[in-house]
Amino acid sequence: MVQSKRQRNLFLAFCLVPTFLLFAVFTLYPLFNGLYYSFFKWSGASSLAEFVGFDNYRRLFSDDIIPSTIWHDYFLVITKVFGIMILSTFFAVALTQMKIKEAPFYRIVFFFPNIMSVVVIGILWMFIYNPSLGLVNSGLELIGLESWTRPWLGSEDWALPSLVLPSVWAGIGLFMLMLMGGISNISKSYYEAAEIDGATEWQQFWKVTLPLIWPQIKISILYIIITTLNGSFIIVQVMTKGGPNNSTHVMGSYLYEQAFVKYNFGYGATIGVMILILSLVTVLIMQFLMRREKVEY
Amino acid sequence: MLNMWRKTSAWLMMAVLFAFLLLVGCAPGAGTEETDSEGTEEESSSEGSSESGESGEVSGELEIQYFVGGYGDSWWKEVIADFQEEYPDVSITEHAGPNINEEMRSRWVSDDPPDVVYIDGAGSSETQMVEDGQLMNLTEWLSGVELEDGSALGESFIVDPAKYDGEIYSLPLVFDTWGTWYDNAWFEENNWDVPKDFPSFMDTMSQIKEDEGIEPFVTTGQYPYYFLRGMLYPAFGAAGGDELLNDVITGAEGAWTSEPVLNVMKKVEQMQQEGMIDSGFGALNHTQSQMNFLLHDNAFIPVGFWLPNEMANDTPEDFEYGFIPSPMQDEGEPAAIVPDLRPLAIAEKAENPAAAKAFVEFVFTKEYAKSFSEHTGAIMNLQGVDLASSEEVPSFLIDANEMINDPEQVQIYQKPHPMSSELETPISNSLVSLMLGNITAEEFVEEAEQAAAEYRSSLE
Repeated sequence: MVQSKRQRNLFLAFCLVPTFLLFAVFTLYPLFNGLYYSFFKWSGASSLAEFVGFDNYRRLFSDDIIPSTIWHDYFLVITKVFGIMILSTFFAVALTQMKIKEAPFYRIVFFFPNIMSVVVIGILWMFIYNPSLGLVNSGLELIGLESWTRPWLGSEDWALPSLVLPSVWAGIGLFMLMLMGGISNISKSYYEAAEIDGATEWQQFWKVTLPLIWPQIKISILYIIITTLNGSFIIVQVMTKGGPNNSTHVMGSYLYEQAFVKYNFGYGATIGVMILILSLVTVLIMQFLMRREKVEY
Repeated sequence: MLNMWRKTSAWLMMAVLFAFLLLVGCAPGAGTEETDSEGTEEESSSEGSSESGESGEVSGELEIQYFVGGYGDSWWKEVIADFQEEYPDVSITEHAGPNINEEMRSRWVSDDPPDVVYIDGAGSSETQMVEDGQLMNLTEWLSGVELEDGSALGESFIVDPAKYDGEIYSLPLVFDTWGTWYDNAWFEENNWDVPKDFPSFMDTMSQIKEDEGIEPFVTTGQYPYYFLRGMLYPAFGAAGGDELLNDVITGAEGAWTSEPVLNVMKKVEQMQQEGMIDSGFGALNHTQSQMNFLLHDNAFIPVGFWLPNEMANDTPEDFEYGFIPSPMQDEGEPAAIVPDLRPLAIAEKAENPAAAKAFVEFVFTKEYAKSFSEHTGAIMNLQGVDLASSEEVPSFLIDANEMINDPEQVQIYQKPHPMSSELETPISNSLVSLMLGNITAEEFVEEAEQAAAEYRSSLE
C-alpha cells in the first residue's frame, strides 16, 4: 500500500512535534533559563533580581573552592571509569565465557544495586562507614588491622576516596549487562578459530572479545562520565554534604549549596553553566580519544 | 521520494523554529508573567477579605505557613483552632510540614506569599527574607499592641525582636537556646561532676575518657553550625559580651582575629588535641550524633531545647536529660547563653494583613506561652510565664527557666540577628577543619577573617 505524502507528513508530525515540544519545555527551556539567571544577582527566594552582567562569571574564576570541586568531580570520573569498567568487563566475561552454573544468580546479584535509589545506597554506605558501628572499621579490627581504622567520611583526606566505592558498587550491574549483551553477540566460531591457532584465553580476550565489544565499552565510558559529572551530586549530598571542610564538594553539590543554602541562585546558575560546558568538552574529547575503526572479522 | 524528504525536513525546520520562538519569547519575562497570572488568581479568591480587612473587620482567607520540626505541630493546631473559634468569619489555610520552606518557595518567588509565616527550619532565613524585602515592617504596629493584662507586647519579650537598621520585621515567638546536654542519671551513677566552666569541663571530660574509654564530646560535622551556635556563640558572649557577639556575627573587620576570639578558639584546639572531640564527628549528621549521645558513645552534645522532643522515640528509659549553658567561659565567670529565636512574621505582600495581624496578636498571650512549653518542651518568648505550676512541663525546662532568670548564674547575651549563611558556611567549614586537628586556632581565625572580608564585600 502506498501512503500519500500528506499522510506520511502527518504521521511524522504526530510522532515528532509532541516529543519536541516536551523536550523544549522540560529540557531546552530550563537550560536557557539557567543561562539567563546566571547574569543576575538573585536569592532564589524572592522576586527581586538584579542584572549584574558577567559579575557571577568573574566570581566563578576567583572562587577558591571551584577548582577543587572540578578536581573532585574528575577524580570521581577517573576512578569510576576504571573501577566500573574493569570490574564489569571482568564479571561480564566471567559470567558468559566461564560457563558458571550459577550465572543467572550472579547476574541478579550484581544488578541489584542498580534498582536501588542512589539515596538508599548513600544511606546504606554511611552505616557501612560509620566509625564506631560500621562494617568497614569492625572488619579491619577483626583481621587485626586496627591501625587502618579511621572515620572514613569524617576525614578530610579519606572522605572523597570513600565515595568511590559505593559509586562503583552501584554502577557495575548495568554496564555488566551491557557488555554481556555485546559478548553474547560474538560468534563462537571466532573463539574456536583462535583456539586452533593456539591463542590463550588471555589472548582471546585481548584480540577477540575486547575489539568486538569496543562500541559497548565506548558508550559505557561516555555514559559513566556524563552521569558522574551531572549526578555525583546525589551521593555527595546524601553522604557528606560536601564536607568536611569542602573536601568532597563536587560541582553539583557546590551549586546546590550556593543556590539553596547560601541564597546565591544566580551564582548557582553560573556554576550550572560551567558544568554544562565542562561536560560537553569532556565528552567531545573522550569521543575523539576513543574513536576506532569498527572491527569486523 | 526526494521531494517528500525535502518536505519533511521543511516541516521539521518549522517545528524547531516555532519552538525556539516560543523559548525566546518565554525566557526573559518568565518570572513576571507567572507572577501576574498567579497573583490575579489568588486575588479573585480573597478579594473580599482585603477590603474588609481595611475596614478593621477580620474575615476572609488567612494563610499561615509554619515549619514542623522538633517541636511538633500540636501547639499550632490548638492555637489555630482557638483562633478559628474567635474569628469564625476567617477561613484559615495551613501550610505546614518539615519541608514547608522548600514547598512554599515558589509562592514567595512569585510574590504571592502566605499572610503569616513562622520562620524556622532548613531552607528558611530571616535575614535573607528581610534583605529581599519580603517581610512587613512591624515597628509602628508593635507599639500599639497590648497583652491581655494591658502591658505593651513590645516590653514583654524575654528577648527583644531582631532589628535591621533599627526596624522590626519579625516578632520572636520561640525562645530557644543552645546549650550542652548530658545524661544526669549516668553522671550520678559515676559521680562525675557537672561542669561549671571551661577548666571543670576539661576535668570532667578527662575523667569520663579515663573511666569509659570514649571521646566524651560529640557534635554533627555535617551541620557545623550546631557547634558554632551551641558552643562558640556563648563563649564569645562570655568573653566579650554583646559587642563581640555582634561583631562576630556581622563579620566586622578584625573581629575574628581579635584576642578574645582567638582565646576561645584555643580552647577548641585544646579539646581537639587532648582527644575530647569524637574523631568521627565530621561525617555525622545531627540525628547520628544525637543517637551516639543517647547510646553513651559520648557524654556531651551541644543542641537546643528541642533535643528531648526530637529524640523522644529513641531515648532509653533510664536516660535523664540534663542541660547546662555551654561551659566555655573562664573560671569564676558566670555561664553564658545566647538565645536562638524563631520568629513569627507577616509578609510584606500579605493579602489579608488585618487577619494576619489579628492572628499574631492572638498568639502572644501568657496562656499560649504556657501551653507552648507543655507541648514542645521549649519556652515562648514572653516574660513572667509561670512554668513551675504546670505538671506537663519537663523538669529540665523548669530548671533551665530558673537558671535563665537568675543573672548570678547565667548571663544572657543577645545576637543582633542570625548570622547570614554567606558568612556561616565558610566559617563552619574551617571550624570542622580545626576540630579535626587539620588546622590550628591561628589558621582558623585567619580563614574566618578572610571569610568575613568576603562577606562584607558581597554586601556592597
